[in-house]
Amino acid sequence: MFHAEEEVQEDKMEELNPGGLMRLLSEESTQSTLSSDSCEYYQTEIFDQLPSIQAIRPAQANQGGPESGERTSYGALSRDKTSTQPLRNLVMCIQGKRDARDRRKMQRNNIGFWESWRRSQSINAKRIWAQMGGALSSLLPWRRTLHAIEGRFGVGVKSYFIFLRYLICLNLLHCALISGFILGPTAYYGRSKNSVPLRFEDSDSFLDFFLGSGYLDRSPVFFGFYTRGSLDKPCLNTPLLYFSGILTILLLSLIMVVRRTIVGYKHTWMLGKRYSTNVCYKILCGWDFTIHDPSAAALKRSFIRNDLKLFLDEQRFSMRKGQRTLGQKMRLYILRSTLNLIVLALLGGAFFLIYYATIQSQKEDGDNGLVSLLFQYLPPITITFVNLVLPHIFRKISSFEDYSFTTQVNVTLVRSIFLKLASLGIYLFFVFNTEETQQSLLQCRPNRFGREMYKLCIFNFLATFCNAFLLSFPRKLVQECCPTSLLARMSGKQHFLVPFNVLDLVYGQTVSWVGVYYCPLLPLIGTVTMTVTFYIKKFTVLRCCVAEQRTFRASNSSVLFHFMLLLGLFMAAVTLGFNLHQQEVKTKLNTVPCGPFGNGETVFNVTDTCVKSLPRLAQSTLRYLASEAFALPLILAEIIILTSYVSRSRANQRAIERLKDMLVMSSSDKRFLVKEHATILKKKKHNHRAPSATVHENPSSTPAD
Amino acid sequence: MGNKQTIFTDEQLDAYQDCTFFTRKEILRLHGRYHELAPHLVPMDYTNDPDCKLPLALIVNMPELKENPFRNRIVESFSEDGMGNLSFNEFVDMFSVLSEMAPRELKAIYAFKIYDFNVDNYLCKEDLEKTLNKLTKEELTPEEVELVCEKTIEEADLDGDNKLSYADFENMITRAPDFLSTFHIRI
Repeated sequence: MFHAEEEVQEDKMEELNPGGLMRLLSEESTQSTLSSDSCEYYQTEIFDQLPSIQAIRPAQANQGGPESGERTSYGALSRDKTSTQPLRNLVMCIQGKRDARDRRKMQRNNIGFWESWRRSQSINAKRIWAQMGGALSSLLPWRRTLHAIEGRFGVGVKSYFIFLRYLICLNLLHCALISGFILGPTAYYGRSKNSVPLRFEDSDSFLDFFLGSGYLDRSPVFFGFYTRGSLDKPCLNTPLLYFSGILTILLLSLIMVVRRTIVGYKHTWMLGKRYSTNVCYKILCGWDFTIHDPSAAALKRSFIRNDLKLFLDEQRFSMRKGQRTLGQKMRLYILRSTLNLIVLALLGGAFFLIYYATIQSQKEDGDNGLVSLLFQYLPPITITFVNLVLPHIFRKISSFEDYSFTTQVNVTLVRSIFLKLASLGIYLFFVFNTEETQQSLLQCRPNRFGREMYKLCIFNFLATFCNAFLLSFPRKLVQECCPTSLLARMSGKQHFLVPFNVLDLVYGQTVSWVGVYYCPLLPLIGTVTMTVTFYIKKFTVLRCCVAEQRTFRASNSSVLFHFMLLLGLFMAAVTLGFNLHQQEVKTKLNTVPCGPFGNGETVFNVTDTCVKSLPRLAQSTLRYLASEAFALPLILAEIIILTSYVSRSRANQRAIERLKDMLVMSSSDKRFLVKEHATILKKKKHNHRAPSATVHENPSSTPAD
Repeated sequence: MGNKQTIFTDEQLDAYQDCTFFTRKEILRLHGRYHELAPHLVPMDYTNDPDCKLPLALIVNMPELKENPFRNRIVESFSEDGMGNLSFNEFVDMFSVLSEMAPRELKAIYAFKIYDFNVDNYLCKEDLEKTLNKLTKEELTPEEVELVCEKTIEEADLDGDNKLSYADFENMITRAPDFLSTFHIRI
């Protein structure tokens, strides 16, 4: 009876195996693990003799022979790297490693001098690299602060501060480049003889610091200061250095941001699976082993639990989504399109407001102190106000649209990104296209743009400062003193909203990039403001905010942050290109020579002069490189290379899928064969017992005879 | 350099330095920590390799391990007898693997051992359920626990046997960017 059941089961397995799909096979294995066969499978004799099991066993019994101990089979350590692997990396107890060490010492006496010297050099090199890496990472500032923030608020909030630190380093790099390319030569070689000297005049006032006019207008902060000095070689002069400095800054930023985007992309979306929605990571890599503090441990546990509940919520949501009827779907789509129209209307209204503010501020002449200051600052105030209010409205709107939590956050983010960058873009568009009044022709045009960017930057910082000390801190005080009052209940507990704060950072950095051509000290101002912002935000987070229960998925959106930064950089590049083109076109109107490109010069004139001074071969090469005859083959070559990469990745993907299926098949084959073997052995034993039983019966039957 | 210590011979310290990720100073400091767990049991003189083991209960009360939900399993997976009694060698080995300088492969091997509660070289569903319960201190309902464990196996299992072998685990770990930074204990 027992054998008959087994045979039926084997037939079933044979039926299933030709099906060959992964899902079917895993069902079969589920069935088998639930039945009593599972214990047998792992207890059969042949199972212990399988090569894959033999390979794992000696590593467990650490003392089992020195050779087998070294030849561990876990992953990459199993191949012949073991003899050159550092002892510390071997998977053995210390006694085993000591024996291996003695053996290696004996071996070393047999290796020649050259080989041992090479090995010791490589060990020393590795040690030096490790020390350098350690030193560099300890140079990174604010490590303890970040650790404290992570302990109290989780990885999401920490990612904001890491992004901020990265931007500060980027700006410091820009400052270094600017001092090398622009400030240094100007300081050493001086400016032109007919440039306005830098000293305080009667019409200067304290408001100049905010308006960027007067004393600041003539200072090194703006474009107009850097005139062509005594450095006047054809290929090495102030204008060319200035322009190449700005270009280097933009190119370097592009390379660094693209690199970080790609690194984040690889981590998040490798092999088509998302890291943050993978629950296996949450369980198996979830706990932070460095936690000592009981309260930090409780917090971490609550984060993990909330993460898992969020995952379960999303599972339930996707089940619910799958069960939506047609009527419900129609209603939902109508609701969503209405809400999107509302969003578009809000955006349109915001842009119109900005346009109106720009027009108003340009009508203002700038006579009397504070009122004119307010009017001059009207566009930045409008932009900041719009960027403060609308994202929260978007957040409320997206909560009605019945998306999963992650999609809600992403949709709000996309809308807010569009709002921020488009509002900046519209403002720039109106600034560049304003009509030239009589008065403005007397001023330096690039300085005017620089002044607008400067005002944006200063006001952004002021807004951060006021937000922290005039909004967040009083809100917290209200919560603390009178928690039951109406005001406290209406405002609720404060959470640190990472996406919106990151958007602010990206906006500030975009302003810095757009304005660096007209206001070379903008990166320096940016560095200072960002460093102060770090401390302000640290104060806000640690003193005023409470940890959010629904944690923000950091790894998923670090790609998004860097991508937003790329968009900002792209906008800056487009603005610069557009302006250079305009410079070329409108050069006749530029009656006031200011900055490095005075006297009717443009960037193209200066580069032309430089190219003409080069030897013939270099000239013709450069002209060829800049012509269309080179651009077209270059684009074609890029397209071909891209296509080859894409098709290779697709082929790899297919190979991976095939290998996965093969793996499932082989493992199922192995299980089948082991069970077969066990069954056959059992049959043999049964057959052995049966004849011996008959042998026993005969002697007992003969006496009866 | 410095003062002459009498706890270990120079040869022993050299061996420790080669076999672990610690320097001589750190080994001596570790010995100090080991000694203060049980001052009457642990000899100060290790030059002749005394055979002294500390029980599990003493080691899991160390401040570095106290808040860790897997502290029992960590100590058990480094002990030779599987019961959690650590000699000084095993103590040093444990903190060496869990230190910052250990490479990813080594940590992955021991992480697998730690999560393998029934020590059968596979992370089966019961192992994962125990892990999850320790992680969340049983705040999830049993249905939720089962759903999460099933999803875990579905995501990580490559060879279709409904449990995670070491190859599956390692494949998953290589895609986790913060495994190295979370799986370490500073002592």
